[in-house]
Amino acid sequence: MKTIVSAAALLAASLFAIPASAANLVLYTSQPNEDAQATVDGFMAANPDIKVDWVRDGTPKIMAKLQAEIQAGNPVADILLIADMVTLERLKEDGKLLAYKSPESAGYDAALYDADGYYYSTKLITTGIMYNTSAAMKPASWKDLTKPEAKGLVTMPSPLASGAALIHAQTLAAVPGLGWDFYKSLAENGAIAAGGNGAVLKSVASGEKAYGMVVDYMPIREKAKGAPVEFVFPSEGVSAVTEPVGILASTKNADAAKKFVDYVLSEKGQEGFLKLGYIPARNGMKLPEGFPARDTIKVLPIKAAEALKNTDQDLKTFSGIYGSN
Amino acid sequence: MHGYIKTGNSQPAWLFPFIVVVVLFLSVLPLARLAMVGIAAFASGGVIDVLSEASLWSATYYTVVTAILGTIISLVIGCLFAFLLTLTDIRAKGLLSFFFVLPMMIPPQVTALAWVQMSGPSSPLLKALHIAPPLGSPQPLYSVGGIALLYGVQHAPLVYLALRAGLMTLPRDGVEAARLSGASSLRVFRDIILPLSLPGIIAGAAISFVSCTGNFGIPAIVGIPASIFTLPTLIFTKFSAFTSRTFGDVAVLSAIIAIISVVGLMIQDRALRGRDYRVIGLSGASAAFELGAWRLVFTPLVWAILFFMLAAPFFALVAGALVPAYGVPLTFKTMSLHAFEEILFRQAVTRTAFINSLSLAGATALCLLVVTVLAAYALTRRKDAASRIVASLIEIPYSLPGIVMAVCFILVFAAPIPILHVSLYGTIWIILIAYFSSFFAVSLKPVVSAFHQLDPALEEAARLSGAGFFRRLADIIVPLIAPAAGASVILVFLIACNELTISALLWSAGTQTLGVAIYNLDDSGSSDLASALSVLVVLMVVVLMLLLELLAKRLPKGVIPWRG
Repeated sequence: MKTIVSAAALLAASLFAIPASAANLVLYTSQPNEDAQATVDGFMAANPDIKVDWVRDGTPKIMAKLQAEIQAGNPVADILLIADMVTLERLKEDGKLLAYKSPESAGYDAALYDADGYYYSTKLITTGIMYNTSAAMKPASWKDLTKPEAKGLVTMPSPLASGAALIHAQTLAAVPGLGWDFYKSLAENGAIAAGGNGAVLKSVASGEKAYGMVVDYMPIREKAKGAPVEFVFPSEGVSAVTEPVGILASTKNADAAKKFVDYVLSEKGQEGFLKLGYIPARNGMKLPEGFPARDTIKVLPIKAAEALKNTDQDLKTFSGIYGSN
Repeated sequence: MHGYIKTGNSQPAWLFPFIVVVVLFLSVLPLARLAMVGIAAFASGGVIDVLSEASLWSATYYTVVTAILGTIISLVIGCLFAFLLTLTDIRAKGLLSFFFVLPMMIPPQVTALAWVQMSGPSSPLLKALHIAPPLGSPQPLYSVGGIALLYGVQHAPLVYLALRAGLMTLPRDGVEAARLSGASSLRVFRDIILPLSLPGIIAGAAISFVSCTGNFGIPAIVGIPASIFTLPTLIFTKFSAFTSRTFGDVAVLSAIIAIISVVGLMIQDRALRGRDYRVIGLSGASAAFELGAWRLVFTPLVWAILFFMLAAPFFALVAGALVPAYGVPLTFKTMSLHAFEEILFRQAVTRTAFINSLSLAGATALCLLVVTVLAAYALTRRKDAASRIVASLIEIPYSLPGIVMAVCFILVFAAPIPILHVSLYGTIWIILIAYFSSFFAVSLKPVVSAFHQLDPALEEAARLSGAGFFRRLADIIVPLIAPAAGASVILVFLIACNELTISALLWSAGTQTLGVAIYNLDDSGSSDLASALSVLVVLMVVVLMLLLELLAKRLPKGVIPWRG
């Protein structure tokens, strides 16, 4: 028995002897894992002396994590690369971000970054409709999802799990003729809202549901791999988030963090996003395979300040329509 | 235990206080911190809002209903296997037992994923057989029955292990005496085996019930899509919309879960009262029954159950890892190893998660065992109110969903520790401490039941001959409870290895666990990667179990739970 105990103790000791990897930059992102890893790998190839550890979760969850860490006085993250400017605007107002004027911002539309340099958009991610190719109806507009043909066959991401979904709901809620009534009639038509965009992709591609509201790159990318799905940009227009990057004021590695911002904004970093199937935010870049010409995509406007003010109320409204999810 | 041993002189004076201090740190401190936040919410009148939410009561209802149904299913399957594999001469016992314990090692969210992939409109299995349901068919598992079924599958091995530990120590002489007096098999089973194994069955039911009420992975994957929320998933969704009220709401929700679990445990206590059977020594009643013609019924039955619990979900997982994209039928042409390449050679998180989970699980299991043996001794030898209170305090963190414990520990360790000025938040240590707290009860249960079955006369004799506490521990108690201790270590290791709910909130860059990595991959829409990683986890578990199997000859009899 003694030998077992001491062997066990040795085993335990040896397990702890493995040193934790010392990272000198921590990135919190809402990109899917493969994309996050590819982004980080690209950056580390360009900056071999900087090591990046990253964490991926849905934007609301990442924010919850960050809030908890900030309250604990120990924020782990140096950089954020998350869904939308509204969230980063809130952090900026709370004084949590570091201003950095990146020389790369010259290649960007002024509406896509914060004038004081607190955050910069990196891509354009629209939310439209995906459908399973074996579905009876081919939807062309948001309204089509409330038709009887789509009864019980519609799914969408929950604003509680996805930052893009929140912006999407807030955008459509402000469109005359859609608004919250549209969401109510969807719910009456048996639509469900649960999980993030990944869940919608899975559910529609696997045929559990026929139609889904989802971010553009997922179905377009899966279709290229052979999945039985199609993506449409509905006639009323699409909502868009821009996945901005920002540096936390609490960072101890400001120089490395600035290099990261420069990298994702640079032509090379934007090329990387293009390869992954995202619409790059930088001017003069091509669109990924499978997208229509950029000027044919009608992006619906959103008032960031209002969206920020109404977030809690909008989440309540949404939860009221779709149960607690 | 009637007071013919005076507690004061049968155990060292430091023992009970030591246990009390440990329990204060692991249970009382974090829960008190949460209670303070809850009371603050009460004071500000937030509780009325929470209690008036319909979602809370429907979640409470679903939690209780799924837990009861799940417990019944796990009892049926677990007892069937325990009795057949311990008491009859069914063939290939070792193999059956090995396979039956295996599903427990699979993280619940993986079980859920695998079953969903196995049975939905996109099931590669059903597609290949051309019997896949049409587009838009509701997934049958997205229901109360689905949640309960998966609970049952997930927790049946827990019942099996709890009951088996008891069955191993059945007095063979009792059975033989009955036999010699001409009692039929049924009679022996009814009058000797069943009454003696009731404590094990009841303990198994309690473990299963408590695990169901706190389970997050299963209702997250098969409940949320159908808008069926249990309390743990409701708490999780509350957390992803972080507001100033969140902590107060969660404190209230946790209290409800705690009440449900405590009621379950009180029922267990009542049921166990007056059933304190102690038998001398270890005389496994192996093969007390010959199956004869019944073999033709039971053998296919157990293998069929195993096929559904293990083989089919595992193949569904492998299929899920090999498809190039969702909804593509799997054939030799479309098969792709991309997901495995990505997981093995590109994703940095894979290696991190393996190292973290293995070290956390190993450290938790071994450190807890040391405390557990001492605690079990103290708690079974003292029969006073204090020890009962301590015992329930140990239970509470396990009865609460991991997510609640995680919140407690965030609150406790959010600020840097006074005097030392280190902050544990965001490090691996906070996860480890939360594991200690949450799995203390898991570690304790088998050891306590072993102590209950010890004949006090043995230790009493040693004590009268002048053997000190540690001497008695080393020479009498530890050898006799070794099987239970081994079971405890393995149980904790497995559960910790596949844990998700605690680490879901406490992980940070570089401290991801396997559970987090899998859930996160699936959550981001990469269920091919999630499946690939799950396949690796299952393979790792099988390798670990095989290693133990190889060591079996050198370990005390009964240390490895699935071996006879």
